[in-house]
Amino acid sequence: MTTPPQWVRDLKPSGPQGSELLAHERSKSSVNVDQLSTFLFTSEGLARKRRVLKVLENEKVFDKSQNYFAGRVDRFETALARAKRLRQLAVRNGWSNDDRLIANELISEPGPYGLHESMFLITLRDQGNAEQHEKFLKPAEQYKYIGCYAQTELGHGSNVRGLETTATWNKEDQTFTIHSPYLTASKWWIGSLGRTANHAVVMAQLIIGGKSYGPHPFVVQIRDLNTHETLENIHVGDIGPKFGYNTMDNGYLLFNQVKVPHISMLARFSRVDPKTNQYVRPASASLIYGTLTWVRSTIVMQAGGVLARGVTIATRYCAVRRQFQDRDAQEGQKSENQVINYTTVQIRLLPLLATTFALHFTGKAMMEMYGANQKKMSQDVGKVGGPERGAGPEETHSGSDLLADLHATSCGLKSLASYTAVEGLEMCRRACGGHGYSSFSGIGPWYADYLPTATWEGDNYMLTQQVARYLLKSARSVLKGNEPTNDTTFILTNFLSRQDTGAAFDVLGNDADIVAAFAWRSAFLTFEALKHRDEQKRPWNSLLVDFYRLSRAHSQYMVVKNFYETLQASPSATGLDAETLAIMHKLFRLYSLHTLESEASEFYTSSAVTVRQIQLCRTNAVMRLLEEIRPHAVRLVDAWSFPDWQLDSSLGRYDGKVYEDMFYRASELNPLNKVVVDPYPDSKVLFKKNEAAALKSKL
Amino acid sequence: MMPDFTDNLKPASPTGPDILNKERSQSDVPVDQLAQHLFRDGFMERQKRILRVLEKDVLFVKVKQLNLSRPERYQLGLARAKKLRRYADQYNWNNDERSMSQYLCDDVSPFMVHDSMFITTVREQGDEQQRKYWLPKIEASEAIGCYAQTELGHGSNVRGIECQARFDPKTKQFVLHSPTLTSSKWWNGSMGRTANHAIVVAQLLVPKARDTTEYNSLGPHAFIVQIRDLKTHKELPGIAVGDINVKYGYAPMDNGYMLFDNYRIPHSAMLSNYSRVDPNTCTYSKPANPAVVYGSLTAVRAAIIMHARLIMARAVTIAVRYTCVRRQFQDRDSNDPRAPELSVLDYPTVQIRILPLLATAFALHYTGAAMQALYQTTRAQIDKGDFGKLAVLHAQSSGLKSLCTELAANSIETCRRAMGGHGFGGGSGFIQLNHDYLSKPTVEGDNWMITQQTASYLIKRMAAAVANKGKPQDEIEQACRHWLQHEQKTAPLPVFEDDMMIVKAFHKRSRYLTYQAYVEREVNKRSWNSLLIQLRKVSHAESQSILVTNFHNALHDNNSGISENLKAHLQTLFQLFAMYTMDSDARDFHKAGAVSDADLDELPARIQELMAQIRPHAVLLVDSWKIPDFLLDSALGRYDGKVYEDLFNRAHRLNPLNELTFNPYYKSDEIVMGRGDDELKKIMAKL
Ligand SMILES: Cc1cc2nc3c(=O)[nH]c(=O)nc-3n(C[C@H](O)[C@H](O)[C@H](O)COP(=O)(O)OP(=O)(O)OC[C@H]3O[C@@H](n4cnc5c(N)ncnc54)[C@H](O)[C@@H]3O)c2cc1C
Ligand SMILES: Cc1cc2nc3c(=O)[nH]c(=O)nc-3n(C[C@H](O)[C@H](O)[C@H](O)COP(=O)(O)OP(=O)(O)OC[C@H]3O[C@@H](n4cnc5c(N)ncnc54)[C@H](O)[C@@H]3O)c2cc1C
Repeated sequence: MTTPPQWVRDLKPSGPQGSELLAHERSKSSVNVDQLSTFLFTSEGLARKRRVLKVLENEKVFDKSQNYFAGRVDRFETALARAKRLRQLAVRNGWSNDDRLIANELISEPGPYGLHESMFLITLRDQGNAEQHEKFLKPAEQYKYIGCYAQTELGHGSNVRGLETTATWNKEDQTFTIHSPYLTASKWWIGSLGRTANHAVVMAQLIIGGKSYGPHPFVVQIRDLNTHETLENIHVGDIGPKFGYNTMDNGYLLFNQVKVPHISMLARFSRVDPKTNQYVRPASASLIYGTLTWVRSTIVMQAGGVLARGVTIATRYCAVRRQFQDRDAQEGQKSENQVINYTTVQIRLLPLLATTFALHFTGKAMMEMYGANQKKMSQDVGKVGGPERGAGPEETHSGSDLLADLHATSCGLKSLASYTAVEGLEMCRRACGGHGYSSFSGIGPWYADYLPTATWEGDNYMLTQQVARYLLKSARSVLKGNEPTNDTTFILTNFLSRQDTGAAFDVLGNDADIVAAFAWRSAFLTFEALKHRDEQKRPWNSLLVDFYRLSRAHSQYMVVKNFYETLQASPSATGLDAETLAIMHKLFRLYSLHTLESEASEFYTSSAVTVRQIQLCRTNAVMRLLEEIRPHAVRLVDAWSFPDWQLDSSLGRYDGKVYEDMFYRASELNPLNKVVVDPYPDSKVLFKKNEAAALKSKL
Repeated sequence: MMPDFTDNLKPASPTGPDILNKERSQSDVPVDQLAQHLFRDGFMERQKRILRVLEKDVLFVKVKQLNLSRPERYQLGLARAKKLRRYADQYNWNNDERSMSQYLCDDVSPFMVHDSMFITTVREQGDEQQRKYWLPKIEASEAIGCYAQTELGHGSNVRGIECQARFDPKTKQFVLHSPTLTSSKWWNGSMGRTANHAIVVAQLLVPKARDTTEYNSLGPHAFIVQIRDLKTHKELPGIAVGDINVKYGYAPMDNGYMLFDNYRIPHSAMLSNYSRVDPNTCTYSKPANPAVVYGSLTAVRAAIIMHARLIMARAVTIAVRYTCVRRQFQDRDSNDPRAPELSVLDYPTVQIRILPLLATAFALHYTGAAMQALYQTTRAQIDKGDFGKLAVLHAQSSGLKSLCTELAANSIETCRRAMGGHGFGGGSGFIQLNHDYLSKPTVEGDNWMITQQTASYLIKRMAAAVANKGKPQDEIEQACRHWLQHEQKTAPLPVFEDDMMIVKAFHKRSRYLTYQAYVEREVNKRSWNSLLIQLRKVSHAESQSILVTNFHNALHDNNSGISENLKAHLQTLFQLFAMYTMDSDARDFHKAGAVSDADLDELPARIQELMAQIRPHAVLLVDSWKIPDFLLDSALGRYDGKVYEDLFNRAHRLNPLNELTFNPYYKSDEIVMGRGDDELKKIMAKL
């Protein structure tokens, strides 16, 4: 710590103070923050967060103030220390899985146990048989085995069927030989693998008697359990610094003819019979199918909160930041305008604010649907095809229509939601002007760690092909005259029956009509795409851009529909008072109409709305909504109830003490200020004095 | 590093080099001719020569720098800055050569502001005596400077800054003072640790008369101030100065904060080329012509655009090369089970993200070049105070800064994401590029704010055109009159028939939007604030129209000396840029009556066709920008296509994290194997 001189410590920001401005903002609005946060998270969820936060705040190792200064190696070491401490705390306090997830959220930093605690355990549980549970899962749950999920390779990620690592069955000694024939076969990107894991689930091409049966999962020990040194003929390491995620040791892994026993192949679904040396086909892959859907639904739901963090920071800061007098201000009116009053700031932030709720409600609805379908699915086992994570299966069976619908929807929504969050965060950062570029805005680093979500669990562009494929299939079924079995076939049927009479949706006057207009556009684009593919016989690849737009349109429809339906629930179900609910309706309209306006061409071409409506939407409706929502902005972000500890942002502090905090972090917490430099080019001395280094050697 | 079995592994075929060779041999783009066309002022020769110097010096090896802590990164930045400066002396480099060395080193140098804003401000705003005194010291790096305008509380609104410079007639000194915390200087590059001098912009307060304590507040003025001791480099008493801490990018740069406690500076500190305070009478004299800065500001913005195009070219170079080498999935419609996988650049959803950006880099080039040419040719007039055409360009330049830096900043992310997982990795060459360039939408005028300047100017010209009195003041007003009298009522333009029609359509749409904004503001008297979103559109429409026009003019310049073959390629790029841009704002073109509904509906198909035409030439088109591997610092974008070998090498051999073995078990507090709980103690001590 460097202490500035007294005359500096005596200085205050010029008035009005940030804390006064935010207090004023809060007093202007009647949005009921508590009701709204309870509606978002339940009172149980909020209590959990408070309880876990109290534990973490008191642990010095989780102190965030030095995070951004350190180099890669130091950051990783600290992250490992944190991961260990967190696990110790979880054991000591008897934390549930939900507690653990909340703790991770509050810490907000990917940790070296990340993939062990997610994909490794899930895969062992879902794809292992009883014997394998005993052998692998048990020690894994005790963190004796620490693992990772090694699917992606240097040369292949999206195309899982193209993986090059092989697992060859040796009938002589009933083992598999795991081997990496090329450099491009190296596993790559694998979280927790680089330095942490001692085991890996390895996806490899199963080869029996010279014949390939496609990628299958194998559990392989890679490091010694005592020394943690790499085992022989295995080559493993961390892949180096990244755009974000630098506290995680994403790794590479190569095998030089490594033998593993028969039990290593996870055998719940498919297996090699050691007696006959025959491959036994999977009974059903529906569980994997389900897990993927679940993971993607989680991404959709989290996207709302991820974005809300940026929106919270930017909204509070833009209410504290003042710049220029209003150009039309009366003579003598001196005070500067809060930048949130500028419509070019509002048009960036307020639709995003509406989006945070839209995504949250959509994710929540999907998780509920997923839960409801779990049961139905167990009855349907055997009817659903096994989609690999690839450009996707045309082979989804409509036998379980609701599930197929949910699966396709989750692909489209994952793509839309994570892109919206990614782009929204950057929009928020830029809206903060110069201070947004500081790490202490709290947005940049958060954005960097979130970015890979656009790529993993299905690249956002590629996933849209699955949605399109599903919609085309549904449209074919509707054209054949089949009865609608789910929402998608329902809106397609509706479109067909009315397309000649046309639609006259009152999007400016009626909320239900907004939803209908979105459905109409999605159906229109579906039949257009079908025409290209089935009538004009266009090549699949030539249609990818259309498919992307189609998926986007359909997903936006889903979001609008879920937002709408959430607000239709009875007042007792939402627990919101009339005023708060009225604001939520405005947010619904802002999200929908702003989207409609941004995608105006498609709405117009599909005749869902008229040019005049679009024009009115732009010049009147959206502008009026911005004005109406503006006074409530601060309270609305408050409802997301992010503790300051979690945000770790000078700009987004609840109390508005932006400038004090910026200055404190710069002048007192900054190790660079302990350095006195020699700036003259002719001298080779760089640092005349480095107190920070001196401190280091003393410890 | 010990040899191991991985040393013998090769990537699966087809290999990167094979793929890029094939890409290069299938195209007839004349790379060298195109490069000559793009870089005419000795740029390439300079690049080659200076590259040779840097490549030999280990200090400029970049691969491992992402691992460094912030203080280390600054230290490296300072070491490099000093070294470059010594090279400049050694090889007698001129300004162009020095900038080239900066460009290739690719650090935001701690001397950057010294070399640019600091010296320029003294040169332009210092009077003759001040220039004589300061410039030699600055050239010799005895005075190392920064530019301290922005404060914690004010950036965009320069008139709102709070730092004061009060004139004290008794001692004939100015008293610099920071009355509040928000008056702290903030963000100022090179100030945190490096500079010993600063240009400080402060509110000038001058006593109303010699003996009163009442002051006239005369607005922000520039002062040159010593801030650190020339020997010890400690800050001088009465000044608190330091680095503001970690940022999104700019790691080697020490952006700083600074406060003054009634700090006295001599009368000669106020830069007095334009405005001055008479030390004896306290009278203040104003600048004769405030518009003198027009010229240099326009030149600065032209340079921003020329820089933006190189940023885009760099992003696109990496993306195009990698997406050719990267193969994923066989063609779905192919019946051959053994067909090789497709290059991902063959997928239209990859093309639509990258190829329009390739075209945009060219679009930016021609406008930046046109601005520079106009600046050069009118410089003599400007010095005489005749701004002529430059006044128009100046008004347009803020909109262009906004649009072009926005396009370039976004292109980096778009290209990066188009590359899937590897785009996120350190070997992408996109991390520092993204981090450093993303300051540009905010600095030199916030992009969402400065569009108001262009729009405001356009509305004024439209108002004059509506009034229709006398001769039009400038070409914009003339164009507005033409639109009002003729163009407005003409039929939509057949944009697929003739490229000139495209240009006209952009003009028509821009005039139309200007007119709409004019009506709202001047006729309907709407508040300025309620129009900001619309004004931004007006400005962007005008900027796009300029980009399209300059691109078109360049293709029809008979002196360009480019072959018909090359011209054809450039024409395809022109059409792609124009149609892609048009498609993004299709409704505006429709409303403006510039393009018919039917033509607008056809745009997506046309765009896809144009992309298919460009696809086989993509690699040679990016090669033509001649961006050296040294600058790309990218495993994915290497000229030779050895993507996977390089990624592996960086991960395996150049990664400090792999030198440590960790203890992963949570019950033990040991972090690094064999070191007990030492590591944990160290970590805790820093928190
Ligand atoms: C931080 C991070 C952590 C990760 N952690 C893990 C992990 O723990 N375990 C693991 O196994 N993996 C992990 N991954 C890998 C991740 O799952 C892959 O990166 C992801 O699946 C994308 O694959 P790719 O990188 O091969 O992209 P590519 O497929 O190479 O994509 C490149 C481009 O090609 C396009 N493209 C590809 N195929 C098609 C097609 N058929 N049609 C149209 N366009 C196409 C894509 O849209 C994209 O624009 C991680 C990745 C990251 C970034
Ligand atoms: C990396 C970096 C380096 C820098 N280097 C220097 C330097 O060397 N010297 C120096 O003096 N400064 C420097 N700066 C400061 C820089 O010039 C300012 O940050 C910049 O001018 C933006 O101003 P601001 O931060 O006050 O943004 P703000 O004006 O606070 O912007 C906040 C938001 O308000 C909006 N807004 C503001 N006013 C209006 C309006 N009238 N109408 C509509 N919207 C409005 C903006 O669009 C933005 O969204 C640097 C900044 C950065 C990030």
